[in-house]
Amino acid sequence: MSKAEILEALRQHPFTHDMDEAWKESLAEIARLQTYAPDTLLLREGRAADAFFLIVDGLVAVEMFVPDRGSLRLQTVSAGEIVGWSWALPPYRWEFDARALVETTAVVLDAAQLRARMSQDCALAAWILSRLLTVVAGRLKATRLQLLDLYAPPPERRPA
Amino acid sequence: MISQATSSPVPNLFLPSPFQVTGVRRETSDTITLRLRPPDGQVFSFQPGQFNMLYLFGIGEVPISISGVHPRTHDLEHTVRAVGYVTRALARLRRGDVVGVRGPFGHGWPLEEVRGRDILILAGGIGLAPLRPALQYLLAHRPDYEQIVLLCGARTPADLLYQPELERWRGRLDLQVFVTVDRGDELWRGHIGVVTTLLPLVERFLDMRRAVVLMCGPEVMLRVAVRELEDRGVPAEQIFLSLERNMKCAVGFCGHCQFGPAFICRDGPVFPLPRVRSLLEIREL
Repeated sequence: MSKAEILEALRQHPFTHDMDEAWKESLAEIARLQTYAPDTLLLREGRAADAFFLIVDGLVAVEMFVPDRGSLRLQTVSAGEIVGWSWALPPYRWEFDARALVETTAVVLDAAQLRARMSQDCALAAWILSRLLTVVAGRLKATRLQLLDLYAPPPERRPA
Repeated sequence: MISQATSSPVPNLFLPSPFQVTGVRRETSDTITLRLRPPDGQVFSFQPGQFNMLYLFGIGEVPISISGVHPRTHDLEHTVRAVGYVTRALARLRRGDVVGVRGPFGHGWPLEEVRGRDILILAGGIGLAPLRPALQYLLAHRPDYEQIVLLCGARTPADLLYQPELERWRGRLDLQVFVTVDRGDELWRGHIGVVTTLLPLVERFLDMRRAVVLMCGPEVMLRVAVRELEDRGVPAEQIFLSLERNMKCAVGFCGHCQFGPAFICRDGPVFPLPRVRSLLEIREL
């Protein structure tokens, strides 16, 4: 795939679409466009967090493997969203698995090179980390709502 | 019959009519859909979003949204979650039993007024029940509307209502359907997360600034969804919510369902957001 295709994917993706064009070109140099077959792991718990995934198409599940229960799916991430922020935080290690549930295409940024560019360009770092924080806050809110178990049966009402 | 014309309740608002149970369909472990036939072949007209009071003689009466009409017999359908004394008894009904029905009551979804618009339907859990007749109406009048998107959330895959119908809706080319569950299982290959996490997907199909949103579900879900919809550009006056309170008389006399200056039974259960926005923030209500 060409750099032009990656650049176009970055222009279209909600995470990067309003990013400065020069930054997009810089990111395109350290990215690849990759398609994952269903059931493929994009990342695995405990391994080095070496990539940042911008999901272009498909559906990805965030999972954790539990002995005797298998891989438990916690959330899904759709096209237009991102997978993985452990690459931005020491010790740069994945905390969960992420698995493509259907054929999934992502812009995959090389995390080491991305961190290097962010350390050289504070404005780029602030932009990406700020956008990442919005994503993290959104996922945290969604997780809290999941924990509320809103669809559980209501407490019993006594007949009036 | 699903109608947008003004409906006419039975003459005596407090007198239940005996409807015969013509079918019971199990939806989930605690939820059933009752099929009810009016007495003497009467035609029962209602607006999607309205509710009936279902009365079990000697047991009690509960407000239940009208969840549709049977496509062949035109019998009335009510989806009931067995969570209390009366609803558990309703869930035990069998074909041939009789249930008292008062209604229809309240204001439904403004489907006539929103002709020509994009429609986003957002349902959480049993909240899909009062939205189902709205979707049936929209699909029956499909050329009158632009894009239609259904977002549906449930606790688990086993808790999804109307599963055969959901499958049919998903197969239609003129309707976008996204389903999510809070907890998946080993067979579930779809979305996992609260229903509002599906909102980013919607923007590919409709213009949020022009879309009309119809939603029903747990009140926390409604509050969160309202904020996210407005953040995405949906004007407040284009958002309609169906609210639930402890309705008793169904005609605004008893005050059990009073919600600030409004009575849910008489003035709702469907409200435009601007009418109830400030009330939703008052925790004592």
